Amino acid sequence: MRSISRRKPRAHLAGSAVKYLVINIIAILWLIPVYSMIINGFKSDLAVTSTPVLVPPRTPTAGPYLAVVGPLARPILNSLIVAVSGSVIATILGTMGAYFFYSLSTSWRRTLTVLSDAVFAIIAMGTFIPYQSTIIPLTRLIVSLNGLDTFSGLIIAMLVFYVPTAALLMSIFLAVIPRSVVEAARIDSASELKILFRVVLPLAFPGFISTLIFVLIQTWNNFFIPLVLTTTPNMRLVPVAVQAYTGGYGTLYNESFAVAVLGSLVPLVIFIFLGRYFIRGLMALGAGKGV
Amino acid sequence: MTSHRRKTNRWLRRSIPSYLVLSTPTILFSALLLYVVGWNFYLSFTNWSLLNPKIGFAGLTSYVQVVHQSYFINSLIHSSVLAVVLVAVGNGLGILLAGLLFFINSSRLRTVYLSIIIYPLAISMAINSVVWLWLYNYRLGVNWILTRVGLPAVPWLFSRSLAFPSIMIITIWAYTGLATLFYLASYINMDKSVIEAAMIDRAGPLKILRSILVPNSLNSFIVSTALLLIFSLRIFTVPYVVSGGPTNTLLQTLVVYMYYLFTTEYFSQSAAVASIITLIAVAIVIPYALIGIRRWIRT
Repeated sequence: MRSISRRKPRAHLAGSAVKYLVINIIAILWLIPVYSMIINGFKSDLAVTSTPVLVPPRTPTAGPYLAVVGPLARPILNSLIVAVSGSVIATILGTMGAYFFYSLSTSWRRTLTVLSDAVFAIIAMGTFIPYQSTIIPLTRLIVSLNGLDTFSGLIIAMLVFYVPTAALLMSIFLAVIPRSVVEAARIDSASELKILFRVVLPLAFPGFISTLIFVLIQTWNNFFIPLVLTTTPNMRLVPVAVQAYTGGYGTLYNESFAVAVLGSLVPLVIFIFLGRYFIRGLMALGAGKGV
Repeated sequence: MTSHRRKTNRWLRRSIPSYLVLSTPTILFSALLLYVVGWNFYLSFTNWSLLNPKIGFAGLTSYVQVVHQSYFINSLIHSSVLAVVLVAVGNGLGILLAGLLFFINSSRLRTVYLSIIIYPLAISMAINSVVWLWLYNYRLGVNWILTRVGLPAVPWLFSRSLAFPSIMIITIWAYTGLATLFYLASYINMDKSVIEAAMIDRAGPLKILRSILVPNSLNSFIVSTALLLIFSLRIFTVPYVVSGGPTNTLLQTLVVYMYYLFTTEYFSQSAAVASIITLIAVAIVIPYALIGIRRWIRT
């Protein structure tokens, strides 16, 4: 025991140094894109032509931000409308669906196993299939609902995939709620809707927030759905609007990076302050317990 | 017994309206999903295109046409390579990074590093792609550092052989955090006493990782592999934004090629490619959902 305690610290220290060296190198590599996003939005047009992307500006200027904030204001507003309403609706509806599954498995377990497996498989499909593969029917459906270039069209298209996503995530989060709580509420003859919103939801609230934040970030970041369902520049969402700054002829890179910062402000701020909820949402995709 | 049954029946009758309210939205949107997927399968058996706007049944014609197109094979190869590389590198890096994070004692610091590896998933891939485009710029990007330390400049997206690997680097950067997260969770939830016993036996971190942590992370391996496979099938935005559209054959994945056929109005062929993608995805998703996820919920 003694020899361990005497020999261990030095080996431990060396190992520890290597460990931190490696993880810091990885962290620096991983941060390069966000680092260049932050520094390059502050470069003047002149500095852009003479300095590379990884060198910070000598005299920071807000010029690029002022140049892009006008064109980007409308897409940011559009994205806020679609992502916030889409994620709130998807999460509430998905929670209701998840609670339905949860009670199915308590009450008529045996009879409805096959049915609930089938619906669960469909929900998993909605969550995981490459949604791009529904492009033709989806656009036709939205066109037939007069939803092209409208907020409601975009939101409905998002809901087709994100209601199942929310239902799947909430099923994972509800699974840990003790059955006895629900059964006790049933004896008090509360209705199932009341039980969900007054008893179950407060207990699963962190899970609810995780689902909401996860779906909000997914809808904000979705590129494909707004790409095919919007045609007028006025209705563009952020990810599509960003495309104009990919660095073709005439684009200066300081503007690309200013756009990148403004376009990811919402998800990044959420990630920085509520990151653990987003991470819990990711964990639920694999039905995993928390870190 | 009878009174119990009567009670259950009464409870059932009373809760039917509640259950209808609870289940209808999810069932409605799930039905809508099945409807668009089914509609797509139907379209793939027709001969609908710009040249032939009158939809008629054509059996497997579109599939036959599609599998004989060299660009389809090209995009299939790209998607397969991307899937294999993303699964292999994502799992490999995930195992190692989770190992490094596991041996960081401060849980706060661990969360910071984990967040750094995961943050790409919180940003739109469209924005990530714009940023990486500049990082791959021949003169102004990371080449600047490479040439300064005496390495040759890498042609990245401008070379036929490196263009697709450059895309793969972006996806690895974006999705490794996912695998890292699942491995780290599995390491942390492992029985502490076994690890402590190994430490008393003076086993080093690498030994503990290799002989205790990794062998007991089968579940994380299954989850990471399934999710990385599924996400690799979906990769559209990176090649699309990097090449400024769906036409760059060096970067076409299956979904990009499908979108290309759609924009050129070969609708049935596009639907056929979409059906092939859907079938591959379903083959992964359904077993994963019913065996992997469902089992966890039931217990």
